[in-house]
Amino acid sequence: MATVTNWIDHLNKPAEEVVGAVYPGAGSSEGILVILAILLWVGWTVLTAKSESDELDRLGRKRHGPNDHKSNITDW
Amino acid sequence: MTDQLGALTTIFTEFYYWVTVVLMFLIHVGFCMYEVGASRYKHHQHTLMKNTMLIPLVTVTWFLFGWWIYWAFPTGPGIAPSIMNESTALITDDSAFSATWYTATSELMAINLGDHISGVFWAAFLLFSWTAASIVSGAIIERITTFAFGILAIAIGSVFWTIDAAWGWHFDGWMLKILGYHDAYASGVIHAIAGGFALGVLMVLGPRIGKFSSSGEPRNIGPRNPWLVTIGLFLIYTGFWGFYAACNIPIYDLGPEYGMEGISYWTATNIYVTPTTLSGITFNFLMSLSGGLLAGYWIAKGDPFWTYSSGLAGIICASAGNDLYHPIQAMIIGMIGVVISYKLHYWVERKFKIDDAVGAVAVHGYAGFIGLVICGFVLNGYPSSGYNVGAMWDGTTYATINPLGQFIGALIMFVVLGLIPGYVIAKVLAGMGKLRIPREVEIAGLDYEMMESAKSDEKAVSSATR
Repeated sequence: MATVTNWIDHLNKPAEEVVGAVYPGAGSSEGILVILAILLWVGWTVLTAKSESDELDRLGRKRHGPNDHKSNITDW
Repeated sequence: MTDQLGALTTIFTEFYYWVTVVLMFLIHVGFCMYEVGASRYKHHQHTLMKNTMLIPLVTVTWFLFGWWIYWAFPTGPGIAPSIMNESTALITDDSAFSATWYTATSELMAINLGDHISGVFWAAFLLFSWTAASIVSGAIIERITTFAFGILAIAIGSVFWTIDAAWGWHFDGWMLKILGYHDAYASGVIHAIAGGFALGVLMVLGPRIGKFSSSGEPRNIGPRNPWLVTIGLFLIYTGFWGFYAACNIPIYDLGPEYGMEGISYWTATNIYVTPTTLSGITFNFLMSLSGGLLAGYWIAKGDPFWTYSSGLAGIICASAGNDLYHPIQAMIIGMIGVVISYKLHYWVERKFKIDDAVGAVAVHGYAGFIGLVICGFVLNGYPSSGYNVGAMWDGTTYATINPLGQFIGALIMFVVLGLIPGYVIAKVLAGMGKLRIPREVEIAGLDYEMMESAKSDEKAVSSATR
């Protein structure tokens, strides 16, 4: 995975190679990383949307009165 | 300075570090707000003063000996030879970067027309010292004496973190040579050590009264002012930009530095004098922050306190390798660190009855530790330095980054230089009866007298006729 294993050797390369990408897996892993990022983003959206819906349903079922929030304030 | 280009480079570097110091000041403002917001009303003013007074205490001791330790200890001493003088002794000779130039009596520790860097570099490191002490401060609020905290702040801020920086955050550090240790933006050298130190203190200090029920069940003593906590954490995020910039050398010619004849390569470098770019770390900073926020929001079910803290934990976890990671790697590492740290926090709280008031051990200690370990796998094979690359355990050359070296490095940071000194010093203070405030004061509140006198002042004012 390491793109650079010795900085002196790396800086001795032709100028166009010296200035390239140096992250792990440069040139081979970008596609996989992007797919992973999309999966995490979509997965996060699905999971948090579901838990938000569950929470709102649970609160809604309690049928709160219009003044209930007044007894729900901390004293700080 | 006699040539214009040389002067421009020097003044730019001087101004660069100066700006990082100003930005990093916001970290301390943020920590103060955050801590006060997390404390109960009856302890507010003492909580604020405790964290504020670490500024002069750590600054003065950093001037007297903290900065000297950083330049003297890279060799251990006695563990690996310096590349400057090939000796394993403390570096106190006439080498270019010797501690001899940074004693409190040195002419470089003052206005000196021949030196534009020492003061701003000293200050950048000093602000890291404040951060280390401030991390500990949050965990132990509402029951520690200010005296004890002052001693602990000096220990972590001007002694133990500067030893770890000399060992693992210095171009000549023995941990780079023997272990291949890499920690570009201080996952371990600031966060893991401060988290470990806080845990050591907490083990002796004990929980706040009422934190645990008689059956051992933890009770929530949540933040009393969520808005102050929110602004505080946003300020810490903001100050972190300065922290990241201060971990870099903004402009440096690596060709002559690496002894390469006829090669000139100007670049920004990390603290180890290996190339990176401010542009690249900007990607990684924001992606790891985002990874932390996403994971924190999900795992804490939208709890604001943990979501904000998780943003910070995400950055901290990715920081060890953020000079080289791809941004998506940084994001994923931030997410992993947050999930593990959050779970560990509650497991440790229940299992060992540890009352970490602000989750500092988790956000800084666990996330930093995990970040170091992950870095060993992701950056496996990269050189830990630009100088002679060699094998692990060799000592005369620099080992490449590797999982075992990073794991051992994480243990050194969290346990050896963090948890053990924190525990021992807290034990000594407890033995002297100086660690914890009396039970009655804790219940009435540290600010009881201030509040009473404010009440009588107000009574007098409101009954006045003119």
